[in-house]
Amino acid sequence: MAAANPAEKSKSQATPIDLLNYDTAKLYTHVHPILLLSLYFYSFRSIVADPISTLSRTLLPLGVLQIAYVAICLPPTGSKDVVVEKRKPGEKKKAAPGKLESGINGKIIPAFLSLILSTLAATPLLFGILILFGAPITTHIFETGLCGAHIAFLSTIPLVYVHGVDGEKWKEIVGLLLPIDEVYGCMIGTMFGAWMGAVPIPLDWDREWQKWPITIVTGAYIGFAVGKLLGGTLLKGKRIKFE
Amino acid sequence: MDNGEPLPSFEGLAAAFAKAKADKEREEAQGLKARTGDAVAANKQGEVHFKALHGIVIAFFTFLLALHLVGIYLFTSGFLLTRLVLEEKSNCAIPPINSSRSYSPASPSTGCWHPKMFEKAIVIIVDALRYDFTVPFNSEGPDKPHHFHNAIPVFYETALHSPNNAFLLPFIADPPTTTLQRLKGLTTGTLPTFIDAGSNFAGTAIDEDNLVAQLRNASKRIVHLGDDTWHSLFPGYFEPNLTHAYDSFNVWDLHTVDNGVTKHIFPLLHPSNSSKWDVIFGHYLGVDHAGHRYGPDHPAMAAKLNQMDEIFRKMIDQLDDDTLLVVMGDHGMDAKGDHGGESDDEIQAALWMYSKQKLFGRSSPSYTTPPATAKERPVAQIDLVPTLSLLLGMPIPFNNLGAPIEEAFIGPKGDDFENLATVHRLAAAQIHRYQHAYAQARGLDENSRASSVSLWRAANNAWDSVAGTKKANKEQWINVYKSFSRYQRETLSMCRALWARFDIPRMVNGITILASTLLVLATYARGLDGDHAELTPPLLTRSILGAIIGTLLGFGASFAIPSLPWEHAVSYSTAIGGVIGSATAFWYVRRRIVYPFPTTIWGWTSVVFTLALSAGFAANSFTIWEDEILLHFLTTFGVLLTISSFRQRNAIDRALGCYHSSLFIILTRVASLSRLCREEQMPYCKSTYYASATSSTSAPWQLAIPIVSAFLLPNLIRTYYKNTRNHQGSAVLWLDVALRFGMLLGAAYWTLDAADDGDWYPGYGKLLKTTKTIIAQITLAIALGFGYSTFSWSKPLLKIETRSADSKDKSAQVVADGGRSSITILGYANVHGSRYALLVTMWFLAISLVQKPMGAGAIAIAAWQIFSLFEIIDTNKLSDSAVGPVILGLLGSFYFFKTGHQATLASIQWESAFIPLQTIRYPWSPLLVTLNTFGAQILCAVAVPAVVLWKQPPKKRGLLGDVTKAIATHLLFYAAINLATTMWAGHLRRHLMLYRIFCPRFMTGAVVLLVVDVMAIFVAVGGTRVSFLSVAEVFGWT
Repeated sequence: MAAANPAEKSKSQATPIDLLNYDTAKLYTHVHPILLLSLYFYSFRSIVADPISTLSRTLLPLGVLQIAYVAICLPPTGSKDVVVEKRKPGEKKKAAPGKLESGINGKIIPAFLSLILSTLAATPLLFGILILFGAPITTHIFETGLCGAHIAFLSTIPLVYVHGVDGEKWKEIVGLLLPIDEVYGCMIGTMFGAWMGAVPIPLDWDREWQKWPITIVTGAYIGFAVGKLLGGTLLKGKRIKFE
Repeated sequence: MDNGEPLPSFEGLAAAFAKAKADKEREEAQGLKARTGDAVAANKQGEVHFKALHGIVIAFFTFLLALHLVGIYLFTSGFLLTRLVLEEKSNCAIPPINSSRSYSPASPSTGCWHPKMFEKAIVIIVDALRYDFTVPFNSEGPDKPHHFHNAIPVFYETALHSPNNAFLLPFIADPPTTTLQRLKGLTTGTLPTFIDAGSNFAGTAIDEDNLVAQLRNASKRIVHLGDDTWHSLFPGYFEPNLTHAYDSFNVWDLHTVDNGVTKHIFPLLHPSNSSKWDVIFGHYLGVDHAGHRYGPDHPAMAAKLNQMDEIFRKMIDQLDDDTLLVVMGDHGMDAKGDHGGESDDEIQAALWMYSKQKLFGRSSPSYTTPPATAKERPVAQIDLVPTLSLLLGMPIPFNNLGAPIEEAFIGPKGDDFENLATVHRLAAAQIHRYQHAYAQARGLDENSRASSVSLWRAANNAWDSVAGTKKANKEQWINVYKSFSRYQRETLSMCRALWARFDIPRMVNGITILASTLLVLATYARGLDGDHAELTPPLLTRSILGAIIGTLLGFGASFAIPSLPWEHAVSYSTAIGGVIGSATAFWYVRRRIVYPFPTTIWGWTSVVFTLALSAGFAANSFTIWEDEILLHFLTTFGVLLTISSFRQRNAIDRALGCYHSSLFIILTRVASLSRLCREEQMPYCKSTYYASATSSTSAPWQLAIPIVSAFLLPNLIRTYYKNTRNHQGSAVLWLDVALRFGMLLGAAYWTLDAADDGDWYPGYGKLLKTTKTIIAQITLAIALGFGYSTFSWSKPLLKIETRSADSKDKSAQVVADGGRSSITILGYANVHGSRYALLVTMWFLAISLVQKPMGAGAIAIAAWQIFSLFEIIDTNKLSDSAVGPVILGLLGSFYFFKTGHQATLASIQWESAFIPLQTIRYPWSPLLVTLNTFGAQILCAVAVPAVVLWKQPPKKRGLLGDVTKAIATHLLFYAAINLATTMWAGHLRRHLMLYRIFCPRFMTGAVVLLVVDVMAIFVAVGGTRVSFLSVAEVFGWT
């Protein structure tokens, strides 16, 4: 790990994302994973009993909670650029928009965008990845799709909200080149948790919760919480090295 | 160089030039210019040096192979205890010894060797009927009765109140206490071993002499009800219209089997039906399932036992006078209700015999009360075999080691010691006959069983002295009985030592050797800095020296201590000596030893995934689902490589890396659709390898797979050659013509095979057989004959062009620039990789022929993936990393499953021996089965050198060392898996699933390691000699 590989991309200039500097934001960021996990474990029994309907029913509260989290705690995409633009001379009227208006432009649109992208782009992508990792092809299609949707909502909504849809940025995101922060931690944690969730499936414990895709979703939720915590604290600013 | 050479052929150079040695190499590349005399001499020297070094590398790997062999041999000889299954059957007319005074041999109608006592019998097994379930709970002491106590009193009451009609005894099982092994013991009278080496190796049917077969030979009509395990052991033995078998695996179902048995058994007891059968074998599973599901101390167990109690009371009522009723447990259960091991609770079952006639007795009045615990007066389960045989007038099965049970032959008054001595003499004589036949078949000398032979003589002398007198007294008969019984016990304990005990020191020594060899291999593969090949000579000499010293010490020790088995001592000390020798060599080169722990994500993942897989083999679930786990791991590696590709700075590297990594992932998943499920994977797995789950032939649509791959694969491989302009010279003929033609022939073979199997053209069967055999032989000749000669004599796949200096084509290396024209070498960038990889395609052709159509498709995908992997490793600059060889190890293991195999004996495709041959021929037939079974591992092992040679500059130094390192890493992967499966098999040697899961996985791991060792050393490393020499002919050695 010592010597950087010259062939590898030079380090991204990006800096870790900080939370918004409000007390509410700092408080809610810790409440949010607790809320999410409580929601999940509250509905765990019924997920085990009937995965399809429960996973689709919990998708909406999950989306709402995630949107609330990003809106309250995270800086929306391009927020720094907006500040620069506002300072341009001759545009004084727009320089000081009403609080409500800036809320709509700055927060609602990225939030909406992230929700749309998670549903329309990330969910099918994750569905495909789950299939590639060995999810059944001919059966359990809805279970796999809903599993993908939950993982997408957990991992992608904050990322899109913060980083937008810039292609270069996303190359860095996929290449694990960004410095670790809370949002990146969420994504990596969710993915890793879902990956680990496959471990108990083959065991011969004959438990109802071992059925597809409950362990994967559970792993994703736990991974989200752990990744978010570590990404925001211990590992913040660290970079992932391959070599 | 970063911004945009459009042609990928330049990347190899880009990578190489980026390295520190770049300047030096550029100088060396000038070597194509005219040489001086000195240069020629230096070149010659370089060639000699390479050949010597190459030989030494092969010798060192062979030394490691020998260590693996010794380790596996020692462990196996202590673990896989084998017993020879003798074909001989006991014959009714030929008693084992001259008959006793009062009886001459007769027919089954009066009793073969001894007068029979019963016409008919009902033998009921209550699975897992532990002895303490059947005796009353002893109320003294603070303990309270458990649910399983006092719930089935019928046996105890009848034995106590009518001792002449019934007796109840503890019935001790020989571990492993699994139903299949127990049924073997209960019908043959032998001890269980791992491999009963007989003619029927793969099947489960019992082919040695047994009670059921004797009954059938005597034309008895046998009915079976219950557990279907009986049908795999005795296929076709039972009356088909009266027999009802039930699936035994659903342990959650407590009642289906029991209710089925009860429903069908009572009508048979009715007088109107009693003439339809002679012997009924019933097998109740409810008690066992209640134990597995709830454990013994549960109301469900009490209810189950109460139900059994009722059933047997009813059975007693309806029994007629000529019928013997036997009820027994085949094993017990532990405190959790499971079994398989050798704890007291698991081996202590109960045996109860009942008859309406007053025939049974006790030799002492105090014996009327059944034993309070299983420690008192127990009988062995194998004792049932001679007892039942003689009671029913059958001959004692040839391999039996048990003795007749006293209570059944002592007579109602308890004093008929003459009868007891007679039956014991018969049983002992049969044992003696068996021992003699066994010693002859195995080539054992009489000395090894001297003590039992002397006991046999003493017992015979006692018999002769008593039989000579007119009126012998009771004490004399007791003496005769006791001496025959002593002989039987001595023989039994001797056989137990021979067959049923693991030799722990051998197992531990075998594991020690495998573990220390793993350390040597790991240090050699990943712990050395610099050129591995250059470091090998001191390693080899010191290892050999150590091994020689070890051998001498071993011989010395076995002379000094004669009780030591010499081959054990010598092999162990040789191996350990060799390991110590290599350790001193590592000490000698200690400055070159590097930090042993991985430093990159690739090192870590390689280690972690290998260890995770190894650790998983300790659990039966992870062993069963190995194929899916490998898919998961390979996809994970694919994803990591995709991520890594995104991190590449060079746009072409990035794009190519992403493309090939994605391709790698998708191909893995596509190949995973080819599945052959093992029994334990049901019902969560659907076999696709054959036409249906119950056939072993291919569906018609599957015949198209080899044809399609014959058209696609050569083109695909060609693109990997064309990228770097290596599609030159021999490669054109081989890839475009020979490989495709060979694959088409392979497809034709399988079509003809299907036509032959399905009898599509009646009357032409013989012609089809001959044709397909010839086609297969031609294919193999193309693959290994034509292929190897192409590989041996091919020039490097280059084309040298002279161009004018103003040419703008940068796709190839421009070597000379003195003047207006320059020499351009097309294919320069991948000269080593493309040259060597021809070998991969040759072995691919041979392997793909011997796979079934589905497997041919899978192995074609494997070949495609392997070439993609070469590109990925190159674009991510990972040729020095462990990840390439480890991924190839995972791929090899993965495609083992995708070519229709499982880690079970039953999945071996024996018929592949007959693909190019019509009869069994040594050594070809076993080699063909090996090529079929381990084709995937072989293909991947052959591909390992190409991972480090792909797109390396022709004159790069230390390439042989890189190959050595990669091969060592690849072997390290398999050695780790082998060590893990060996350790788990040894550790779990009394596990319920040992025979079904752990032992077959251990055997697979050991054979795979040896096969991969041989292929990687002699084919892969051996092949690099050819390709290096051929490249050096053009580029020189200096």
